[in-house]
Amino acid sequence: MKDLPQIVFVVDDDDAVRDSLRLLLKSAGIPCEVFASAQEFLSGYDAAQPGCLVLDVRMPGMSGLEMQHELNLRGATIPVIFITGHGDIPMAVEAMQHGAFDFLQKPFRDQELLDRVQRALVRDTENRARLRHTDRIRERLATLSPREREVLDLVTQGKANKMVAGDLGVSQRTVEIHRAHVMQKMEAGSLAELVRMMMAVAPRQ
Amino acid sequence: MRGMAAPTTDVLALLDATFDAVVIMDDRGRISAFNRSAEEMFGYRAADAVGRNVSMLMTSTDRASHDDYVRRYLAGGEARILGRGRDVRVRHHDGSEFEVFLSVGRIPNTEPPQFVGFLHDTSLRRKALATLEHERQVNRLYLDLAQVMLVATNRAGVVQLVNQRALRVLKVSDAQIIDCNWVDSCVPPDDRGIARNAFRALLMSGSDEPQSCEYHVRSSDGEDRFITWRGVALRDANNVTGMMLSGEDITDQRRAENEAHRALERMNNVSRLATMGEMAAGISHELNQPLAAIANYAQACARLLRVPAPDMPEISGALEQISTQALRAGEIIRRIRSLMRNEDVRREAQDINELIREVHTLLASDARVHDGRLELDLSPALPHVTVDGVQIQQVLMNLVHNAFEAQGSEAVRAEVNGTTFEVRIATRPTDAGDVEVSVSDLGPGLAGEVEQRIFEPFFTTKPAGTGLGLAISRSIIKAHDARLGYRANQPRGACFYFVLPAHMESPR
Repeated sequence: MKDLPQIVFVVDDDDAVRDSLRLLLKSAGIPCEVFASAQEFLSGYDAAQPGCLVLDVRMPGMSGLEMQHELNLRGATIPVIFITGHGDIPMAVEAMQHGAFDFLQKPFRDQELLDRVQRALVRDTENRARLRHTDRIRERLATLSPREREVLDLVTQGKANKMVAGDLGVSQRTVEIHRAHVMQKMEAGSLAELVRMMMAVAPRQ
Repeated sequence: MRGMAAPTTDVLALLDATFDAVVIMDDRGRISAFNRSAEEMFGYRAADAVGRNVSMLMTSTDRASHDDYVRRYLAGGEARILGRGRDVRVRHHDGSEFEVFLSVGRIPNTEPPQFVGFLHDTSLRRKALATLEHERQVNRLYLDLAQVMLVATNRAGVVQLVNQRALRVLKVSDAQIIDCNWVDSCVPPDDRGIARNAFRALLMSGSDEPQSCEYHVRSSDGEDRFITWRGVALRDANNVTGMMLSGEDITDQRRAENEAHRALERMNNVSRLATMGEMAAGISHELNQPLAAIANYAQACARLLRVPAPDMPEISGALEQISTQALRAGEIIRRIRSLMRNEDVRREAQDINELIREVHTLLASDARVHDGRLELDLSPALPHVTVDGVQIQQVLMNLVHNAFEAQGSEAVRAEVNGTTFEVRIATRPTDAGDVEVSVSDLGPGLAGEVEQRIFEPFFTTKPAGTGLGLAISRSIIKAHDARLGYRANQPRGACFYFVLPAHMESPR
């Protein structure tokens, strides 16, 4: 599956700030789209579009923080860089606690912004790759029969075939056959790889 | 009966015209004439008195000795009373006794001798004297009861009279000040010019109109008191003979006024600083916007110029934006500076709409912080108003700030249910041709009890409020000969308004 090209989305209600950000990103060769309000951005937002978000923390209507909350509710993973004024440090802290990628105080040097944008784009790529990886694992898990899933769970807990057979009340031979099917369906070359896959999709603590 | 020369009609008429009682008698005391004043004095009619002995007019003591006096005079010329006159007691027809001044003369060339007595009612004179004295005392009492200082001087400015109040203020006795020069002895050197000029003006004008002036007096222990004086010229027929000053000691009052004035100024400054503090976040944000834009544009230009074929239209647009944004930042700084300015600003004829538009720039960030909108509804055809622009802007900022705060609470947001929080500054001409300025919101408005007290200093409904904003706003508006009022806004919310008088010569 081929990724769409990355886009930096800028959301700022101040015409001059918004336009200057557009030009700055353009001058660095980074594709961007600009929006005057959170609503305008959200109404056309496609979670499949890779990129990052540069967001003014203080806006009329929906503020930057409220927009971040909305994105979190939608399960969006797009990295958010907040732009704040001098008096907005508490807001920046709150944004970081809610998973913002980074923040910048106005006014800033172009390199500060571009570095952060670049890192955010890398993070987005990684996020999306990780997501694709876990999605594939989940797809494979879905093909297992209930008995195969039981065997998988016990094996990845570190139990030997003999113990699994005892736990499930079947022969050791039957366990070996199920285990071979699991390795095949999960496309795992070794037990270690199978364990890593299961850890990747395990619910976070 | 010996011949008795009865007075001629002429003489009788003359006698009747005199105020004194006149009685003519012969050497045996028989009355031959009794004028009208005598009738009034003694209660006898002339017809009844003539022919009777004069002793009927005397007290029993004098009666016994009178005949002796006359005999002794006629025998040896010893005059006890003739040509001298003395106080004697006499007797009225009704028996009452009273004092008169009696002078007696012998009528020349009468034989037997005739005597004429002039009786002057001294009891009346005494009464008049007593009345006069009483009046003097009452006047003195009036002078001394007066709560003002009263000082009378002659033309030369020498003190003729002072009342108790003046003596108390000056801390001197009557004797120490009477006959002293008023200005030299009671006015401190710095104020003598004023005092002398006022005195001269009073003497020169000769007008009966009281004239006012203010200067200090110095008490005997060196304390200066500030007095407001009213002076009138004292006159005798046509000549000004001196002046009378009435002075009110306004030292304490003036001090209290100065204190109040200073307190208000302090409050003004405190409120100005508080307003600045509250708005500092908004203002720094407002200033950061153009600065951030400028930095971005400039850096973008630098990058764009590094490539072989630079995008000139884009670069030129960015440069234009840079200058626009720099001017925007400068304008914001100018507004802040004028807000922080402490010195008094002259009142000038100004376009109120322009003042409001200026303030709108600064308040936009306040609106942003409160997720609200600041709307302007300005009538285009307005006369100029004579105002201190900065002060009026300060009032507007205070009112708008309050309005956003009133709408900002969670409870109100829930109540208004999602509609935009809007504050409106409106101007309109009044029927009288003046200019009404109002700031209205869609908040909860004022409860009755709050409405009563909203302009009181230190009254506040805000947890961190000083309670000074509206009180100061009202005093500023009052200083512009207007009144800051409150009315309920339609359909909901509060509306604060004031009416500024139109500038006089302003073309519409």
